[in-house]
Amino acid sequence: MKRPKLLDDPKRELWLAWYATICFYSLYAIVFFIVTRTQPPGKPWYDPTQVVAWFAGRHEGLLIGFALIFVLGGLSATSIALITYSIRRMSVSRAYSYSYLIIYAVSAVPGFLFICVAMTVGAMRPDRSPEIQRWLYDLGFLSFSGTMGVFLIGSLIWMTAILLDKNRVFPKWFAYLNLCNALTEVVVAPSWIFHTGAFAWNGVIAWWINVVVFGLYTGAFIYLLRCLILREDFGTGPLPDLASKRWHQIFPAEVGVS
Amino acid sequence: MSRTTGERIIFWALPAVAVVWIAAFLLFPGFVPPMSPKASAAQVAAFYAHHTSRVRYSMILLNWFCVALIPILMLIVERMRLMAHRTPILRYCVIGVAGAAPIVFLTSTVFWLLAAFRPYRSPDLTLLYNDLAWITFTCGVPFLVALCLFIAVAIYLDQQAEPVFARWVGHFNLIIAVALVPAGFAGLTLSGVFAWNGFLSFWVKNVAIAVWLVVMAVVLGGALQRHREPAEALV
Repeated sequence: MKRPKLLDDPKRELWLAWYATICFYSLYAIVFFIVTRTQPPGKPWYDPTQVVAWFAGRHEGLLIGFALIFVLGGLSATSIALITYSIRRMSVSRAYSYSYLIIYAVSAVPGFLFICVAMTVGAMRPDRSPEIQRWLYDLGFLSFSGTMGVFLIGSLIWMTAILLDKNRVFPKWFAYLNLCNALTEVVVAPSWIFHTGAFAWNGVIAWWINVVVFGLYTGAFIYLLRCLILREDFGTGPLPDLASKRWHQIFPAEVGVS
Repeated sequence: MSRTTGERIIFWALPAVAVVWIAAFLLFPGFVPPMSPKASAAQVAAFYAHHTSRVRYSMILLNWFCVALIPILMLIVERMRLMAHRTPILRYCVIGVAGAAPIVFLTSTVFWLLAAFRPYRSPDLTLLYNDLAWITFTCGVPFLVALCLFIAVAIYLDQQAEPVFARWVGHFNLIIAVALVPAGFAGLTLSGVFAWNGFLSFWVKNVAIAVWLVVMAVVLGGALQRHREPAEALV
């Protein structure tokens, strides 16, 4: 029997984690935007009866969609592991990679498990008192968008590591995209205060701008992690270049610097 | 010269911790038999009013000791250092889920303790805490599923003459991951095998976790015997 090529590839673990990352983010987008329709989020100004109607309008979607997250949500650890690996490949202290790992590992429970639990509990008993349904609705959306500190500090740690790194693991512009991601966690804070307007949890700033930044950020790091795997030489010095013209455009100022 | 690395202390603490877990499981009156999701708010409120002390003591025990799973998982992570892997990615994956897995149990104990804290509040609120506790406890399997998958992949990729864990341990972890899957769907129904008190979501899931602990403890014990000083073998 022919041995699968992947088994002999020294980068097999990196590729497995990368493909699992793609699967996780695809699942995440499909569940939140299509199956449960919890993104874009419900309106923060809904009265209790409107919240009951909101739950009724997506009863099966909430229960099936979040069940999928209950089963497969742990795959989020693969992107955390890859990013931790990328930081360890940099010329910075391991304190950066371990901080990133622990911060993002902790983020999973308030960051996405709480919304799954709150929305499932809300959807499973539609005849519950409308006031309590709204309590669950608030818990779901505010825990999801309002779990801020882990992503704020995590992004700043990754940013600092990239800026200090001499091994050219990530392009410097991505450090500033990390800063943008960190800033989204700052501007989302007013969603704990406002029920309407640009700063409410569904507002132009607290939701629309944030989701665009997060989408760009996630797409960029998934692409850059793929480049990292292709360039990985398992050494400790600067990562070699990717033999393509496009790569030279990504690293314009640093090509040729040893 | 022999040196104490402390791994044996963690390992032999497991049977003691397991006794506490089983005791807490049996002490909680809502587990044997599992409470029905079809119970009315009045019935649920009456349950907490009648069994206040047992709910409190059992959940305080679980709250104290559920996190004791983490050092055990770290022993597995240390064994993974000896696997024929090229990168630490799979260890990072396991560390990434090792914290969240018991924190899910911890969160459910908080909801159960809240339900028992004021059993004479409005029954609708006690029903809410009870639902939050049961859904968190039952559906909160994503990190355990991923843990089993990561360990299985790690074992399959450990291709050396004397692998750290035998290949069947990988197959075993895949089977446990599959056994945990139905529990994720417990929110979909209030009766039947998928309900939180059902055959698949309660019995299969919890027995799978218990069997996983016993089997992994046995193979971990064997691996500890074979490789006494992993931390020094690889720097």
